[in-house]
Amino acid sequence: MQRILVTGAATWTGGQLIRRLERDPEIEVLAVDEFEPRVEFDSELFDFELDNPDFAHFILDAQPDAVAHLQTADRSALLGGRRAHDEAVVGAQALFGAVHRSDCIKQVIVKSDICVYGMGPRNPSVLFEDADLDGTRGRYAKDLKALEDYIATAARARPDTTFTVLRFAPIFGAEVNNPLSRYLRLPLVPTRLGYDPRMQLISETDVVRAIDHALINPLSGAFNVAAPGHLYLSRILRLGHRIAQPLPRRAYDVAVKGMSRSSLYMPTHVKRLVHHGLVTDTHRMRDVLGFEPHRNLRQTILAGYGLLPDRSASA
Amino acid sequence: MNLHSLTKTQLLAIARAADIPGRSRMTKAELIEAIEHTADAKRTGGTRQEPPPGPAARREALAARLDSFINHNKTCNWRSVEGHPCGLPAVIDQDRCALHGGVDIADVAIPAAGRLGFDTWPSLLRHIWLASYDIDPIGLDPAIAEMFWHVANYLYYEYFRVEVEGIENIPLGGPALLTANHGGAALPYDAVMLTLSIMNEMPIPRRARVTGTEIFNATPTVSHFYRKIGGVYASRADTAYLLERGHLVGVFPEGVHAFQKPFSQAYQVQRFGRGGFVTMAERHGAPIIPVAIVGSDEVHPALFSSQILARLARMLWPAQRVDEVAVYLNLIPLPIRWRIRFLEPIAPSHVGTDPDPLEMLERTESIRMLIQANLTDMLQRRGSAI
Repeated sequence: MQRILVTGAATWTGGQLIRRLERDPEIEVLAVDEFEPRVEFDSELFDFELDNPDFAHFILDAQPDAVAHLQTADRSALLGGRRAHDEAVVGAQALFGAVHRSDCIKQVIVKSDICVYGMGPRNPSVLFEDADLDGTRGRYAKDLKALEDYIATAARARPDTTFTVLRFAPIFGAEVNNPLSRYLRLPLVPTRLGYDPRMQLISETDVVRAIDHALINPLSGAFNVAAPGHLYLSRILRLGHRIAQPLPRRAYDVAVKGMSRSSLYMPTHVKRLVHHGLVTDTHRMRDVLGFEPHRNLRQTILAGYGLLPDRSASA
Repeated sequence: MNLHSLTKTQLLAIARAADIPGRSRMTKAELIEAIEHTADAKRTGGTRQEPPPGPAARREALAARLDSFINHNKTCNWRSVEGHPCGLPAVIDQDRCALHGGVDIADVAIPAAGRLGFDTWPSLLRHIWLASYDIDPIGLDPAIAEMFWHVANYLYYEYFRVEVEGIENIPLGGPALLTANHGGAALPYDAVMLTLSIMNEMPIPRRARVTGTEIFNATPTVSHFYRKIGGVYASRADTAYLLERGHLVGVFPEGVHAFQKPFSQAYQVQRFGRGGFVTMAERHGAPIIPVAIVGSDEVHPALFSSQILARLARMLWPAQRVDEVAVYLNLIPLPIRWRIRFLEPIAPSHVGTDPDPLEMLERTESIRMLIQANLTDMLQRRGSAI
């Protein structure tokens, strides 16, 4: 009997992962989240805010064999910036504190984001896993950097536990409702005049598959996870039949600010992504982790826009 | 050049360029022998001085060479997810066209339709519109790079009338670091002419990925355009990335200093940065090929360079970091005759390790002196600049 603790169970990724794990009768899932799940599952849901002091004790009492920390998506739109920041940082502290003290946790998997590398004009064109992390721009990247620092500390303290960090490219798909996907799905997309960022994406189904794959094949280290292929933002929008509206900086800022009052909310890391772009190397994912995404970049984009014909939609 | 390290496809391309009869039926060893034989014949019989061919003849030679890489009887088997066919011819010995994986776009520039011309633009624009092909991770866009190649070739053949020496010093495969003198032009014409000279004159049109400073990344329009036509950001990470994968990298170690010198110092090679390029070449076992370029310094003669103007520019545009800007005589480039000379490759001395700092300094300086000596020699031989 293997016991797996999954944080962020209310998210689509968390729910799908739990449903996948439930198929195996040998696995018991402890689902943790403070919100109503987006995907229904049978396992018991434990209602914890991660910065609740009881959370660490809950982990120690439950004695899981593995932890999948998926509550790392940007929740500032739901909770407000400061609250999301507190929960992310204190939650990570509690989680890794418990990992440090517990004797039964053999495996920790963390869902991170490639935006921890930072984005800007001085970035290398292609980022590898051993690149320096930059948590100077934007709250979300800062939180992820703090999270990864905790992982590094915990990994030093517990060499017999495997710590897998999956740094996902921006997630895009029909089921995804994150700031970038809302931005990409606008009918008329404001872009920065004179900038055409290179981008990678990953489909939401491949995210679940990657986490599941990492649970079965425990390997320590960080891995960039992205669909094969690279495209410029202008091409992504064209594949989705969207019209790009290049705007100079001031007009762009006004447009984005105006939209954030209604539906669109653009946190710093998304703004910087559509300004500077970010491309990572995924050879370690393929050669070391042994994971191959089902969908390439073009299929991911078309699926995200609901344009993928059915014959290739089997994920 | 070591023929034995090449693949059969590469050897076939050379044989095709040299027009060796019966090449398609030859084995690899026979091909090497035939190529060496023709090279020997050329060396012994090539004493008479022929006048350099005109632009029309050079264009024709290029067209024939490029066409030999394309199999016109076969169409690319790529089909988009939506069901659009590709419609372009496949690369020789491949099932795909040059846009959809027929060649390594990061290393080899083969026009998708087998030739450069405005009549090929509709099919290229169609594929750009369909977003049908992948870009290189660094940002090279094969279709845009091809259209730029075609347009810039007018500058190369008719306007600057670039003549190239020593093209055989560039390896047909594998990494090399091209180190050139930088010209004081308002636009980096020398970077463009350097990449064009390699694509236009080599038996296999290889791409030289020329590095640009972070000012490029922070400048609107330039930020993506320089990547689409094959530029890379001048950083150790990018250079290492390309050299490890066996590509050609072009660097201008003088950097921005070359743009600030007055016309009276034309063709005086400035300090070569801090010699980082020597370290990179050593670390990745790449030969350094010094390149002397004559022409770039006269295209836009600089009248003077000013610190006050640089400060004014920074007020309007905070991203710029240059502390001196030169003021140029002319807006339109002057029709200067260009010469590009590729010198003998300098093999790395101890592969995989960093050279000691003093040796690095000495090698940097010796490469600078070598380029300076060749520039002086080329200027003497050139005659009229126009």
